[in-house]
Amino acid sequence: MGGFFSNIFNGLFGTREMRILILGLDGAGKTTILYRLQVGEVVTTIPTIGFNVETVTYKNLKFQVWDLGGQTSIRPYWRCYYSNTDAVIYVVDSSDRDRMGISKSELVAMLEEEELKKAILVVFANKQDMEQAMTPTEVANSLGLPALKDRKWQIFKTSATKGTGLDDAMEWLVEALKSRQ
Amino acid sequence: MFAKLKKKIAEEAATAPRSGGRIPRSISKESITSVGADSGDDFASDGSSSRDDLSSQVLRRNGQIRKLEARLSDYAEQLRLLQKTKDKLEIALEKHQDSSMRKLQDQNESYQANRAKMAEGMALALEKKDQEWLEKMSVLEQEKSALSARLAEMTEQSLSLFQKRDDLDELEGFQQQELAKVKHMLIRREEQLGQRERELQQQTGELQVARRRLAEAQDKLGQLEDERQESSRLYAELQAERQELLGIREEAEEKITELEGRGQELQSVIQQVSEAFQKSQGTVAGLENSLHSLEADHEALRLQHEQHRQKVLVAEEEKERLVSDLQEKVSSLDRRLQGNLTEDEHLEELLKEKCALEQKVEEARAELLETRTSQTEVVSSLEAQMSRLNSKVAELQALLRQKEESWTSDRERTEAQISALEQQLQESSERLSSSEQQVAERDAQIQKLQAEWSIERERLQQQGLERTGCLEAQVTALETARDLDRATTQHRISELEQEGEALRESRCEVDSALKTQTEALEQARADLGSRQTVSVEIAKALEETRRQREELQQQVGEMTSTLKVREEEMAKVTQQLGQREAELVTLQEELRTAQTEAEGLRRQAEEREVEKDSQLALLREEIVTQTDQLDSCQSRVSDLEVEVETLTEQLHAPEDCGEEQNGAVTVEDLAHMHKMNKELEQQLSEKNKTIKQLQQRLAELKRTLQKELKLKPDQESEGREKPPEGRVEKPEGPERPFPEALPQGVSTATVTNNSDLNDSREINFEYLKHVVLKFMSSREAEAYHLIKAVSVLLNFTREEEEMLRETLDYKMSWFGSKPSPKGIVRPSISGAPSHWS
Repeated sequence: MGGFFSNIFNGLFGTREMRILILGLDGAGKTTILYRLQVGEVVTTIPTIGFNVETVTYKNLKFQVWDLGGQTSIRPYWRCYYSNTDAVIYVVDSSDRDRMGISKSELVAMLEEEELKKAILVVFANKQDMEQAMTPTEVANSLGLPALKDRKWQIFKTSATKGTGLDDAMEWLVEALKSRQ
Repeated sequence: MFAKLKKKIAEEAATAPRSGGRIPRSISKESITSVGADSGDDFASDGSSSRDDLSSQVLRRNGQIRKLEARLSDYAEQLRLLQKTKDKLEIALEKHQDSSMRKLQDQNESYQANRAKMAEGMALALEKKDQEWLEKMSVLEQEKSALSARLAEMTEQSLSLFQKRDDLDELEGFQQQELAKVKHMLIRREEQLGQRERELQQQTGELQVARRRLAEAQDKLGQLEDERQESSRLYAELQAERQELLGIREEAEEKITELEGRGQELQSVIQQVSEAFQKSQGTVAGLENSLHSLEADHEALRLQHEQHRQKVLVAEEEKERLVSDLQEKVSSLDRRLQGNLTEDEHLEELLKEKCALEQKVEEARAELLETRTSQTEVVSSLEAQMSRLNSKVAELQALLRQKEESWTSDRERTEAQISALEQQLQESSERLSSSEQQVAERDAQIQKLQAEWSIERERLQQQGLERTGCLEAQVTALETARDLDRATTQHRISELEQEGEALRESRCEVDSALKTQTEALEQARADLGSRQTVSVEIAKALEETRRQREELQQQVGEMTSTLKVREEEMAKVTQQLGQREAELVTLQEELRTAQTEAEGLRRQAEEREVEKDSQLALLREEIVTQTDQLDSCQSRVSDLEVEVETLTEQLHAPEDCGEEQNGAVTVEDLAHMHKMNKELEQQLSEKNKTIKQLQQRLAELKRTLQKELKLKPDQESEGREKPPEGRVEKPEGPERPFPEALPQGVSTATVTNNSDLNDSREINFEYLKHVVLKFMSSREAEAYHLIKAVSVLLNFTREEEEMLRETLDYKMSWFGSKPSPKGIVRPSISGAPSHWS
C-alpha cells in the first residue's frame, strides 16, 4: 500500500528514484561502472557474489542503481530484481569475443521478461581501451540488437577504467527516461 | 477504395502472366537441363569411344540441332501467341481502367452528394449534441476545477507531508549522525581523559620519583654535608695536628736552635776557655814578660831612682836657687809693694821676702829630704813587691797547671755533651722529617678531600641547579596557578568583603536582636525559676515511676513462672511430634507411590516412544502432566522437608527443657526420634536423587520428541511442495527460477529436482547470505525490491512472501493498520511466463 502511494507521489513530483539494473556477464566491469558513476573513481573490485546497490544522482535525477553479480551460478537470480525496473544497463566485455554468444543469449532471455517490457536498454560496449576490442557496431550486431522491436535501446562504447563514454551514455539515458515520462 | 481497387488490379495483372509463363519456363528449364544432362552424359559416356563414331555423333548432333531448331520455332510461335494475348489483355485492361474510372467518378459524385447531405444532417445533430456537451462540459469543468483544487490541496498536503517526511528522515539521519559524532567525541574525550589521567598519574609518579630523588639527593646532600663537616672537622683536626706538628717542629727547631745556641755557647765557652787558657798562657807569658819587665823596670826604676835622685838633687839645687831667687823676688816684691811708702820699707819688705824665700828654700830642702826618704821607702816597697810578684808568678804557674788539667777535663765533658746533643739533634731532625712527611700526607689527604669535596659540591650544585630549574618551572606553574588562585581569591575576597559588609549589617541587626534576646533571656530566667519548681515536681513523679517499675519487676517474676508453665506445654508438643512423624511416614509412602507412578509413566513413555508417530500429542500431554505431578511431588517433598526441618528444630528446642522436666524417659524417646529423623532424611535425599534422575530422563525424552516433531513437519512440507508442480494454472513453481534459468546448460540445470535445488542452495549459500544481510540492513525502499530474491532463495511460499511484502508496506506507510496474514494479491507476483531458452 505504502509503496503504491509513494509511487504515486513520486510520479507526481518527479522525485521518484529511477530504478536501474546493471547486468552483464561476469568480469564485464559492472561494479567498476557503478562506482565510477557514483564516486567518479576507479575502485579495485572483487567478483560480486550478490549485488551492490547505490544511489546515483545525475542531472537532478536520482537513480537507484543495482549492480547484480554476473557469475554463471547466480545469473538466474537476476529475474528476482526485474520488477519496477526503469532501465537496464547491459555491460558487454568488447574484448571477449568468445563469450559474446553467451552474452547475447542472456540478453535475449532478459528482454523477453514481461516485467522488463517497458525498460529502456542501454548497452555498454565496455573495455574499449583494450587493443582487441570490438567496435560498438560489431558488438551490436553480435548481440542482435538491430533485430529488437518495441524497445528503446542505444549502444555506447565505454571504458570504465578510463571513464570515457559513461557521461554520454548517462546523458542519453536521462533524456530517454525524461521523454518517457 | 481506389487503392484497394488498384491493388486488386495489380494483383490480377501479376497473377495472370505468372500463371501463364511459369509452366513453360519451368518446362524449358527442365528440358534444357535434362537435354544438357543427357548430352553431358552422352559425351561423357562416348568420350572414350573411337573416331569412327564421330561421324555418327555429328549426325546425332545434327539431328539434335534440328530438333532444337524445331523447338525454337515452336517457342517463337508460342511467343507470338503470347504477345498477341498480351496486347489483347492490355487493350482489355485499358478498357477496364476507363470503365472503372468512369464508375469511380460516378461513385465519387454520388458519394459527395451523400456526404453533403449527411454533413448537413450531422451538423444539425452535432450542434444539438454540442450544446448538450457544452452544458455537460461546463458542469464537468466545474467539477474538474473543484477536483483540481482539491488535488492541488492534496498535492500540497502530500508535498508538505513528503517534505516533512524527508525532513524528518534527514533530521533523524542528522540526529543519528550527530549522536554518533557526540558519542564518538565523548568516547574520544573519555579516551583523552583517560590518557590525561594516565599522564597525570605518570606525572604524579614522576613527580613522586623526582621528589624521592630530591629527598635522596637531599639525603645525599645531607650525608655529603655531614661528610664535608666530618672532612672539615678532620681537616680542622689535621690542621690542628699540623699546627701542633708545626709547633712541635718549631719547638724542635727552637730546641735545635737552643741546642745549637748551647753548642755555640759551649763552643764559645770552649773558645772562652781556650781563650782564657790562651789568655792565661798569655798572662803567664805576660806575667813572665811583666816579671822580666818588672825586673827590667826594677832595674830601670833603680836607674830612674838614681837618675831621679840625681835629678832630685839637681832639682833641689835648682829649687834652692829658685828659693833664693824667689826670696829675693819676694823681698823685691815686698819692697815694690811697699814702694809707695818708702824705699826703706821697700827694702825691708824685700828683706822680708828674702827671708821668706830663704825659709822656702829651707822647706824645699826639707821636702827634698823627705822625698829622698820616700824614694828609698818606695824602692824598698818595690823590692818587696818584686818579691811578692815572684811569689805570685809561682802561684800563677801552679794555677795554670791546675787550669790546664781542668780545661782538658772540661773539654772532654763538653765533647761528650756535644755528641749527645748531636744525637738528640739527629733524632729530633728525624722526628721532624717524619712529622713533616705526616704533615705532607695530611696535606695531600686534605687536598684530596678538598678536591672530592669541591667535585661533590659542584655536582650537588649542578643537581641543585637542575632541581632548581625543575622546581622553578614548577614554581612558575604554581605561581601561575597561584595567580589564578589569587585572582579567584581576590574575587572571593571581594565577595567575602561584600558578605562581610552584609554580615556587619546583619551583625547590627543581630546586636539589636541580641538586646531583645537578652531581655527575653531575663524573662526566660524568670521562667526558669518557675521551671525549677516544676522539675522538683517531676522528680517526685520519677520516684513514683520507680515504684511502678518495682511493681513491674514483680510482674516479670510472675511471667517467668508462666513461662515455666509454657515449657510444660512444650513437652506436650513433643508428644504431638511423634504423631507428625507418623504422618511423615505416610507421606513417604505416598512419595513411593508417586515414584512408582513415575516409573509407570516412564514405562508408558517408553512404550509411547515406540508408538510416537501415532500418539505424539497424547505423550506430550502426559509428559506435561507427569512434569506437573513431579513438580507437585517436588513441592510436596520440599514442603515435607521444610516440615521436617521445622519439626527437628522444634524437637531440638524442647529437648533442653524437656529433659529437665520429663526426665530419663523422654531422653530415650528423643534419641529414637533422632534416629528416625535421620533415616527419614536419608530416604528423602535418596528420593530427591531419583527424582532428579527422572527429570533428566524426562528432558531427554522431550528432546527426542521435539526432534521427531521437527522431522515430521519437514516431511510434510516436502509433501506439500510437490503439489504446486501439478497445478496447471500456476506455471511458476517455487523451484523453477534457478535450474531453468541456466541457459548455457553449464550445470545440470534443466531438470527440476529437489537434490539439484539443494546443490544450488549450497553453491549459492554465500549469495543467500549476502542477500539476506542486505535485506536486513538496507532501507525499506531497497528491501522491498529484495523481497522476491529472498523469498526465492529461501523457498518461501506465496503466502509467506505476501506476508513479508505486507509487513514492509506497513512499515513504509504512515497510515493503515497492521496487515492480517492474508492480504491483497499483487499482480507482479503472479509473474510473467518464463521463456528461458
